Amino acid sequence: MGGKSNLKFLYAGIAIALLLSFLAPFLASPDPDGLESAAGGIIEESKLSNLEETEPAVSAPMPDYSIEGMGKSGEVLAIAVGTLAVLAISFGFGKVFNKKA
Amino acid sequence: MHIPDSFIPLDQAVIYWVIALPFIIMSMRWARKELDEMKVPILAALAAGIFAIQAMNIPIGMGTSGHMVGAALVAIVFGSPWAGVLVLTLVLLVQGFAFGDGGITTMGANILNMGVVSGFVGYYTYAVLRRSLGTSIAAFGGAWLGLFISSIVCAVQMWIAGTFPLVPGLITMGTYHLIIGFIGEGLITAVVITAIAKSRPDLLEDSFTVRSEKSKKEAHAWAENRT
Repeated sequence: MGGKSNLKFLYAGIAIALLLSFLAPFLASPDPDGLESAAGGIIEESKLSNLEETEPAVSAPMPDYSIEGMGKSGEVLAIAVGTLAVLAISFGFGKVFNKKA
Repeated sequence: MHIPDSFIPLDQAVIYWVIALPFIIMSMRWARKELDEMKVPILAALAAGIFAIQAMNIPIGMGTSGHMVGAALVAIVFGSPWAGVLVLTLVLLVQGFAFGDGGITTMGANILNMGVVSGFVGYYTYAVLRRSLGTSIAAFGGAWLGLFISSIVCAVQMWIAGTFPLVPGLITMGTYHLIIGFIGEGLITAVVITAIAKSRPDLLEDSFTVRSEKSKKEAHAWAENRT
């Protein structure tokens, strides 16, 4: 019992996550999410466009899960890179912050 | 439900960061106390899966979409809401800094809503329901309620920020997230938890105790056979 089957869980998780990364740019709904949609419905237009035009505090390298000039393949790549980054960071975190035997 | 920078004034955003910090620190202490070498791959797999599934927006009608948050799922697997806070913090960090999904100033509020509120409400609702309703339905109910309450908290923050009017904000946010929570959170959490309960029952905290009792009984029977 143990390490080996937990690694199986890890590989299954990575496979599912990467599959989702490849599918999301094609299958995910382009409609605004709950918060954006609520904002669009209940904030007056002039105020909303002000809010939307405000630049984020820190500009992100791959805004909106896309890579400039790369279209859908850029989106796949962006989400896959993010997935692997989260994987690596949480793995690294877990290696440093765990109950030492 | 990722709040962008412009939706909360900086002074309020800082306050949400200050409230979120002790929860983040507690989640790290949870890792130090409860996370063993064997569970690290599980944590990493769930974090990667949750990042990816958050990119998969599901249409809910009314020109709106939504996606899973996942804090309740992680909390149920690890038997602690702190695990949900930890994973959502890591996911939100990458989303904010690399993809501009959720602001950096508002990340504290996002961690509070999606990590703390949906993780704690989701996990404890699950814990209360599972005895009478079973694992699957309890996971569904916990995840659903967790996301709904978190959207209500978000609507109140938007009102304090002066971004949304109170009542229309509560009604729209609540309605959308009742639907998103049903499909995107409740159903997916229930399916994943049910699959784990079938294939790896040892992983779920609840079955840890069941298993250790079982092995105690076996040891007892073995000892009796010897005499």
